[in-house]
Amino acid sequence: MDLLVDSLLSALLLVASMDPEMVAIVAVSLKVSGISTVFASLMGVPFGFLVAFESFPGKRMLITCLNTLLALPTVVIGLFVYAFISRRGIFGPLDLLYTQKAMVIGQTILILPIIATFTIAAISKIDDRYRKTAMTLGANRVQTALVVFREARFGIVAAIIVAFGRVIAEVGISMMLGGNARGFTRTMTTAMALEYDKGQFTLAVALGIILMGLSFGINLLFHFFQGRTRV
Amino acid sequence: MVYDISQLTKVYGNRTVLDIPLLEIEKGSIYALLGPNGAGKTTLLNILGFLEPPTTGNIFYRLHPVKFSESYLQPLRKVVVMVGQHPILFTTTVYKNIEFGLKIRQIPKKERDLIIEESLDLVGMRHFAQAPAHRLSGGETQRVAIARALAVNPEVLLCDEPTSSVDAENQVAIINILRQINGIKKITIVFTTHDRFQVTSLSHHILFLDHGKLATDTGENFFTANRFSERGLLGPTRSHS
Repeated sequence: MDLLVDSLLSALLLVASMDPEMVAIVAVSLKVSGISTVFASLMGVPFGFLVAFESFPGKRMLITCLNTLLALPTVVIGLFVYAFISRRGIFGPLDLLYTQKAMVIGQTILILPIIATFTIAAISKIDDRYRKTAMTLGANRVQTALVVFREARFGIVAAIIVAFGRVIAEVGISMMLGGNARGFTRTMTTAMALEYDKGQFTLAVALGIILMGLSFGINLLFHFFQGRTRV
Repeated sequence: MVYDISQLTKVYGNRTVLDIPLLEIEKGSIYALLGPNGAGKTTLLNILGFLEPPTTGNIFYRLHPVKFSESYLQPLRKVVVMVGQHPILFTTTVYKNIEFGLKIRQIPKKERDLIIEESLDLVGMRHFAQAPAHRLSGGETQRVAIARALAVNPEVLLCDEPTSSVDAENQVAIINILRQINGIKKITIVFTTHDRFQVTSLSHHILFLDHGKLATDTGENFFTANRFSERGLLGPTRSHS
């Protein structure tokens, strides 16, 4: 019990003092996860929108596949991307392994299905009367799609927030593709794992506090936007 | 003549929901579309509004044959507007809801403002212009939906049970609005209803639908048909059925 209390107190002091190493780790986490979320959103939102809005053969099967990808373990993605970017992989010459770029690639793959499926759910929930109303007022296909997209905006933002929450807390991809290099690819989760291995809990707990704080903030945002979808 | 329809059928699966050999709708008139639930009233309105194609049949709109392809229908939808039974407003302000159709038609901002004010005045909702549309009551929503449709100055207004979900006060207001726009702007109106009082007070012509067919003068199963015949309220379109 003393260990926990001592670690917690030391961690709080570390957070309060804005320890430079800790700040650098948090910055790497936010940067990598932020870029991954932007890339995944740019691909996942339009893709999810098209899947939800259009009718085509195999649509249900595609949605089932996307749902299956939600459960993809981070280590599987790590292995998969490693096979492509390691020295012997087809992208080996690009020297991506153990860089932030490699982490971004892996994390983007991780959350792409999350953003796509949540976008599909958000669009599918939109009352069909919006589409019909836009059409009867003379809107063309693109204008009608934009109306539906606009009505689903809070659900789509919620999808992006969920994805960010998922990616900032993942450890497998960051460890396998980033390599946990200090000041370069060390993220909150990989640093926590390392500190735990070293038996030094202070920084791990401090990072844990920050991660929990971020998660809390992300959840608050998610519930705010989810609530807005019910207006 | 606005619509000239012949041999129209609409089939869902193996169920024929509409089977109309002939229907003509005159310009500037108000048509009441009556019939029991499931008679095909909304389906007919959707077809008249170019929102869904018939299974078979020919439709002429203002003497031009209608082709049910998206590029052909969109210009037609700019002149025929439908207000649903439970209209939905976009989750923005009342002003922006009405502005939507005007923006699509690329009407300049100054002109848009004037039209929006005029439309809201017509339905008595001017002071709601900046109100969030999704916070309005059922009656207010219905009135704003009518204002949104009127703002685009349609040739034909299709209303699916425009007063079914509103209180008595709003019912009177909506009926008066429909009468007024028909009188002033000569907009052709087709509305569905179950309310025989509305039929007698508002419409020039009456169409009865039963199991997808337009009823004849003998009006099988329509006790109202005989009453309307006696009062001379049956329109010329009935003779086409």
